[in-house]
This record gives sequence, structure tokens and C-alpha cells, in this order.
Amino acid sequence: MDMVDVDIGKLDVWIEQLFECKQLSENSVKNLCATAKEVLTLESNVQPVRCPVTVCGDIHGQFHDLVELFKIGGNSPDTNYLFMGDYVDRGYYSVETVTLLVAMKIRYPERITILRGNHESRQITQVYGFYDECLRKYGNAEVWKYFTDLFDYLPLTALIEDQIFCLHGGLSPSIDTLDHIRALDRVQEVPHEGPMCDLLWSDPDDRCGWGISPRGAGYTFGQDISEAFNHNNGLTLIARAHQQVRERFTWIKEKYLVTIFSAPNYCYRCGNQAAIMEIDENMKYTFLQFDPAPRRGEPHVTRKTPDYFL
Amino acid sequence: MIPTRQILTPDDLVRFQESTACSEILAFLNALNDSVIGVKTTDTIEDSESIQKLLCLLDAVQQTNKDIKPIETNSRFGNAAFRDFYDKVEQTLPTWLAEFVPAEHVEEVSKYAQESFGNRRRIDYGTGHELNFLSFLLCLDKLELIKREDYTALVVHVFFRYVQVMRGLQMSYWLEPAGSHGVWGLDDYQFLPFLFGAGQLRTHKHLRPKSIHNPEILDEFSKDYMYFESVRFVNSIKTGSIRWHSPMIDDISGAKSWEKVNLGLVKMFRAEVIGKLPIMQHFMFGSLISFSGGSMPAGTAHGEDEHGCADHSHVFALGQEFPDCCGIKVPSAIAAAQASKDASAEPRNAYVRPIPFD
Repeated sequence: MDMVDVDIGKLDVWIEQLFECKQLSENSVKNLCATAKEVLTLESNVQPVRCPVTVCGDIHGQFHDLVELFKIGGNSPDTNYLFMGDYVDRGYYSVETVTLLVAMKIRYPERITILRGNHESRQITQVYGFYDECLRKYGNAEVWKYFTDLFDYLPLTALIEDQIFCLHGGLSPSIDTLDHIRALDRVQEVPHEGPMCDLLWSDPDDRCGWGISPRGAGYTFGQDISEAFNHNNGLTLIARAHQQVRERFTWIKEKYLVTIFSAPNYCYRCGNQAAIMEIDENMKYTFLQFDPAPRRGEPHVTRKTPDYFL
Repeated sequence: MIPTRQILTPDDLVRFQESTACSEILAFLNALNDSVIGVKTTDTIEDSESIQKLLCLLDAVQQTNKDIKPIETNSRFGNAAFRDFYDKVEQTLPTWLAEFVPAEHVEEVSKYAQESFGNRRRIDYGTGHELNFLSFLLCLDKLELIKREDYTALVVHVFFRYVQVMRGLQMSYWLEPAGSHGVWGLDDYQFLPFLFGAGQLRTHKHLRPKSIHNPEILDEFSKDYMYFESVRFVNSIKTGSIRWHSPMIDDISGAKSWEKVNLGLVKMFRAEVIGKLPIMQHFMFGSLISFSGGSMPAGTAHGEDEHGCADHSHVFALGQEFPDCCGIKVPSAIAAAQASKDASAEPRNAYVRPIPFD
């Protein structure tokens, strides 16, 4: 087996470079992903997390807003972070965003947890932008391959102090207990159906019980389902991401589940504020909202006429 | 004949791309494109009786949009009043179309028109729906209700009017952009106004692709050219500069000429719309636009999820192991227990599933 040569000094240099929104070389990404695989493979499908921790939702390549998030929530590693997936697709800087989060994960494995979202998948990233972005920024698909191979190792869910259950999408009719999740073989492409798929794709709904998801994967589930799941597993709350939250404070009336979405003004058009959830050392949680970081000047990516137009 | 879905697997899609149906759609698109080269939106173009009827139809759809107000809601999704709008249009479309479409084709043609206003269940809209509008026009063309000399008006008056109606629907009911690629797409909703708009500009002596960066040019020439009008519209909807919110449009502005832009968009349409399974898996075929894919299981090809999965009897009739509809398990307690019991067993679903939407 190849020994991977990534030391702390190198990681710090990479993290500094990435904070300036500058991508790493293809070879550095290869080393980074190989190291990250070793770290992530040790984690559980239900990764235990200690408080205090700040819980974040979808980022979708909005790099400047991720930097804003660290300003609002505090720098890593001074603040512990739990990200619930969807780092890539749609935004302009998925490459820089996911590289930074993975580098931080290796640098401070106990201080930052990164879960898998439904966009951390080969099939979805080929449709929604990350594949195109990798091609455009590296000239080939190698970096896309390193990352999507790594995504198979991301944990599916996390459990904060045995009380708050965190995941990207939602519940599954095939899963009653956290032990069911622990028993899943997660190292694979996100399947089209079944418990692993549901955890990454399902959405809560106003209607009780289970429903068919309009997304074509996962299910919708009512408050009764969340209540029963929390009760059966001794949980106080489910924290999940996956859906843009349009209204301020939607979560306040929710008792069993909150949705956290951390991409402000999603796709430059939605006008939504973003949120993160701070959980303190007494497990008291507060929501912090933030607006999009101003985009100063122009993006420092050179204009490149797509092949269709040459 | 009610059109049905025929494309489920990558193989189906390849067969479709080699089919007569696909060449007919592209030939029609190219003919429409050719008809607007050098034409200004504001030019005087005669509307034949068919064109006038289509414009009346779009007026009626717009009026329905105005009549059915969005409901007050805390929902984070699209506005559910869209479904009332959709049902109302579905009810009235066959009557409107019966005025000029032969009776035996009303149902088929209505389906494409209906699909062109978005997805009722997901409350979303994208280039696949726009393709349905093109297909609706192709049906009318095949029925010889539209003549070659109507093409210019068909694009500049009818198609452009359709885009405006769609914007009204997008704004009032918050239609989600279907399958949005975010900044990596051309536009959240439309494709063809850019394509036809670039066609209009192909012979222009002074305006260049990079002119989109000049706000004065956008203001002055939007009324004449759909391309500028579409760019101006995106700028008005999104925040920040176009280089941030629409890098694809920005990149295209580096092309050498409008001809390159126009022909490039045709190539891009072939690859990114006609050539994409997540879009084409929803497209329907009937007697006028005819294609048979072969992989679509019987009972799942009709109207996809529009029927709300109320009746699952047709699925049991296929002898499947558990209740299944639209390729999605019905999450009854029995199905859930069954699924958890043999979660480790081999995949139970023998047939391929559509690509999920997000």
C-alpha cells in the first residue's frame, strides 16, 4: 500500500490557500482524498459528536458564504462543526468548498464532522454541476473521481451527546432504530432506494405518516413519524438539511425536527437567509442567521468560451 | 392517442437520439431558428389565423394565472395554487384546442401543451417543459395547421408570448427551477429564447455577443432581440453581476460571433436537453411524435406522478413483490417491514428506476 505523505505543515498550507479560494493541484487533491479516506473509514454510520458544536446545512459550492459562516460561527478549530452534506453542485466554487472542508476534516478530525448529502454522489454530481466544474477547472475528470470515490466513505448520520440526531435528508420506513443505521454497509454509491437512500433523500411533510416523495427518491414523513422515532431512540431532536428554508424562524414551531440550510440567497435568486445551529456545552441550542457575503469585484476565474461556441 | 413516456434507460435515450422523432424535433427547431435570422421582435409580421388562435390560447392561460391567486402559505415549496391553475388549464385546454385541432388529435396535442406549463406535483418548471411547448407546435405543424410562412410569427410572437406567460407563472406560484444546475446552467428555466434570440442577431452589423455586458445596449435592444431581453430578465431576477450569477452566459459572451452563439446553442440543446436522461425520461410520445423505447414497464408510462398514486391495482397486476408505483415503493407499514426484513437481500426491483429529482 502506498504511504500517503500528508503532514500537518502541508495541510496548514493547503487550508490557507483554500481560504483564499484557490484550488489545490490535481496531485494534492489525490493525496488529500487518500488521507481523508483513512480518517473517514474509521467513523461510524452514526458518528458520535460531543457538544459544544455548531450544526450546518447545505453549502452547494457557495464558497464565499461558507467563509461568512465561519465568521458568524467562529473559526475552526476554536468552534466545533458538524456539516450535514451537500457541499457541491450548483454553486461556482464546489471544488474549493469541498476541498477546504475535507482538508479541515483531516487537520482536525475530532473538531469537525462532515456527513454525506444526496449530492455527494457520482450520479447526482454528473447532473447538477460538480462534474462540469471539475472538468472546467482541471481540464479532466480525475479530481471529480477522487472526490466521488471519497464520498462513499462519508458517515451517513451523527449523534450529538446521544440526544440530537443529525443527517442530511430524513427518516426511512425501513429504519426504526439507530442500530439499523449502524448495521448498514455505507461504502458505496448512494443507491436508488432502500434505507441508505432514504436517509439522504427524505423530507418532512405536513401530512402524517409516510408519503411518496415528489423527488423520486426517499419518502416524506409526518411529525408523528419523527415523534415516534425520537421516542424510540431516546432523542430530543432531529436536525436535518436538504431543503431551503424560505421563511425566517420556521423552525420555532417545530418540536421534533429542524431544517437547517446554510446557503444564503441560494443560487443568487432565492433571497433566503441562511442559518446554523449552535449547541452549547449544556445542549442548549440557538440559531444564528446570516446574509450572503458581498461578492466584491468579479470572480477570479478567467472567462472561457465553452466548446459548443468555438 | 394519449402520449406516454418511452425513455427510461441510457440505451432508450441512445435509440431515441437515432430515431426519426428526434430528427424531426431538431429539424423543426432548426427551421424555426432559420426563420428568425435577422428578424427583430418589433418587426411587422403578419399573424395568420392559426397564429392568432395560439396567441388567444396563451392569453387565456395568462388570464387563468391572474384569476387563480397564490394562496397564503408558510410552505417553503412552490405555491399550491399552481395545482388549481394547472387543473383549470387541463380542463379547458381540450375545448380551446378543439376549435382548430382535428377531434381525433385533441387529446394528444393537449398533452404536450399541458406539459409545457410545468409539473403539477413538484410545482416546478424547466427546459423539459419548454421542450414540450416546442413539441406542441411540432404537432400542429405535422397536422398542417401551421404553414412554413407562419414560422417567423410562431417564434417571435407565439413562442415569445409563451415565455412571458411562463415568467408570470414562475413569479406568482414560485415554480422551482426543475433540476437546476445552479450557476452551471444557462438559465434556471428557459433555453430556447437564448437560442432563437441569438438567431435574430446573427446578421447584426454592430451588436456583438459581448454587448450583453453593456446595460445601455440591454435597455435599448431588449425590445428587438430575445437574447438581450432574456439576459436583462435574468439580471433583474438575480443579485450581483452576471459574472457571478450566470457564468455560462458570461462565458458565451466570449464567442466570436452571434452565428457561433446561435449554432453553439443548437449543439448545446442537443447535448444538454435532448441528450440528458433526467430530462428526457419525462418526455412523452404518441402518434404524431412517435418513438418506442422498450424499457418502460407497462403502467408507469402514463402521466408519471400526476395521478397521485391513488390506485395501485395496476401494479399488483404486474405481479411485483410489493406495492410499487411510479417506480417508488408505497411506504405502507407492510412494505416497510418487508423492506427492513430483507434489507440485506439482493435488490428486489428488477427494472430500472427513473433518476431522482433534486
